Amino acid sequence: MSAPAASFPWFLRVLVAFVRRELAAVGAYRMAFAIRVLGFGLAVGSLMFLSRFVGAAVNPHLAAYHGNYLGFVVIGFLGTEFQQVGVSVLAQRIRVAQMMGTLEAEVATPAPPWMVLGSPPVYEFVVAALRSAAYLLGAKLLLGLDLSHANWPALAISAPLIIAAFSGLGLLAAATTMLVRRLNPVAMVIGSLSFFLSGVMYPVTVLPGWLRLVGRLLPLTHALALLRGTLLIGSGLAELRSSLLALLAFAGLLAPVGAGMFAFALRRARVDGSLSHY
Amino acid sequence: MSDSSAAAAVGAATLPAILVEGLGKVFASPAGLRDMLRGRLFGDPVTALSDVSFAVRPGEIVCVMGPNGAGKSTLVRILGGLLLPSSGRAQVAGIDAGAGTAEFRRRVAFVVGDERSFHFRVSGRGNLHYFAALHGLGAAEARRRSGELLARVGLSQAADRRYREYSRGMRQRLAIARGLLGDPQVLLLDEPTLGLDPRGARDLRAFLREEIIRGAGRTAIVCSNDPTEARAMADRVLFLEGGRLHAEAPPDRIEAELGL
Repeated sequence: MSAPAASFPWFLRVLVAFVRRELAAVGAYRMAFAIRVLGFGLAVGSLMFLSRFVGAAVNPHLAAYHGNYLGFVVIGFLGTEFQQVGVSVLAQRIRVAQMMGTLEAEVATPAPPWMVLGSPPVYEFVVAALRSAAYLLGAKLLLGLDLSHANWPALAISAPLIIAAFSGLGLLAAATTMLVRRLNPVAMVIGSLSFFLSGVMYPVTVLPGWLRLVGRLLPLTHALALLRGTLLIGSGLAELRSSLLALLAFAGLLAPVGAGMFAFALRRARVDGSLSHY
Repeated sequence: MSDSSAAAAVGAATLPAILVEGLGKVFASPAGLRDMLRGRLFGDPVTALSDVSFAVRPGEIVCVMGPNGAGKSTLVRILGGLLLPSSGRAQVAGIDAGAGTAEFRRRVAFVVGDERSFHFRVSGRGNLHYFAALHGLGAAEARRRSGELLARVGLSQAADRRYREYSRGMRQRLAIARGLLGDPQVLLLDEPTLGLDPRGARDLRAFLREEIIRGAGRTAIVCSNDPTEARAMADRVLFLEGGRLHAEAPPDRIEAELGL
């Protein structure tokens, strides 16, 4: 038996085995799952009352979104969750695998490291997409979220670009976590800055000009512009061109830099022996 | 087989399965407060291995003995390609251990008895299926191979129990089954019977030696600091001390070499 060539079908086999293993373990985390659902219910409830409060006034900053603050803020949180998945999952997975001791056993197999470590982000992005769809549907059915202007084809084209940009950040975050062996510093910095400057809770138009410029350096700002543009306004790709190009630039820059840094971090782990400890 | 290929096969058979030349490993320890105040990013370097050289013949079982901190685990991790040496070289199953190729990882299995290396909330079978996928096996082949290996290590009855419910001996056996997924030529076993009761350890040693290693014509390195283990399993014993290869002896000379 010779080692199969690193290929997409092999990666799919690893992904399926990973998902089966995760689902087998999920049964043991029923309480955690229930708490998560409850947490989401409470968050949506608070957003509903917040939107009633904000939506009661005529707000020029929300005019572009048809005054739909509920949609604005729900998409703000969903975009933030996608960024969180991208930036945190790989780093967290490596940290847990180092602490549990599974990382060493996994990289000792013939599968290349990208295959070993690629499954969790793919799985988590799929889960996040399903969860987002459920949240949007729930918000539409229960809270009357207005998605009548949505441009679904434009969203389908934009989403992979958003995921690619967040994945590039994730590689950087994972490499940094491996190198400094501390809780994900990239996620903490990017997460805080994005919540402040990317327009999660409020439109970026309320920010002073110089802060708006800083905000444009964050992928989430452009991801939210794409998500809100396609889902709430019904914008087409031409109208969203600047955000699409910005995300393309983020993905084109962050993915190779992140991959290079990650390869360096893995090699460093083989030099200092930290594959099996954190 | 043609004359030339027969000659090549004979030549290949006489090549060592493991060749270690001048191997050294120095770890840069993390800087303490005093080091950082002196502007140093690292503490004093720690030498784990120094100028270690030896060869292992195909089919041979070599036990590496030494006290805690002698460098056994460092050595076996370098041979398994999980750690890069600071100096020298190691060739295992004909491939440089530092190369990190998929073919190397197929030919060489690092069987770590570390019980943290499996997913606790998943069954033994589920854990093996996942690692089978990492070996490139499709779902049907993974099921077949996992079932076969679970039977071979005596875990068929317990295959669907969660790993956290396994006893220490069962965990060791599952680690061995995982190591055999790729049908490796060389096995690297780090303290395979650590923590087992005497009878469990004796049975596992016999099983490893006769069925897993000898029965399949494999080469093995066993790290241990237990003379009983070395006597039961090894053809030859290497003694490491302070990161240096201190002596080499047949198993019946262990006590004399250790001064027991």
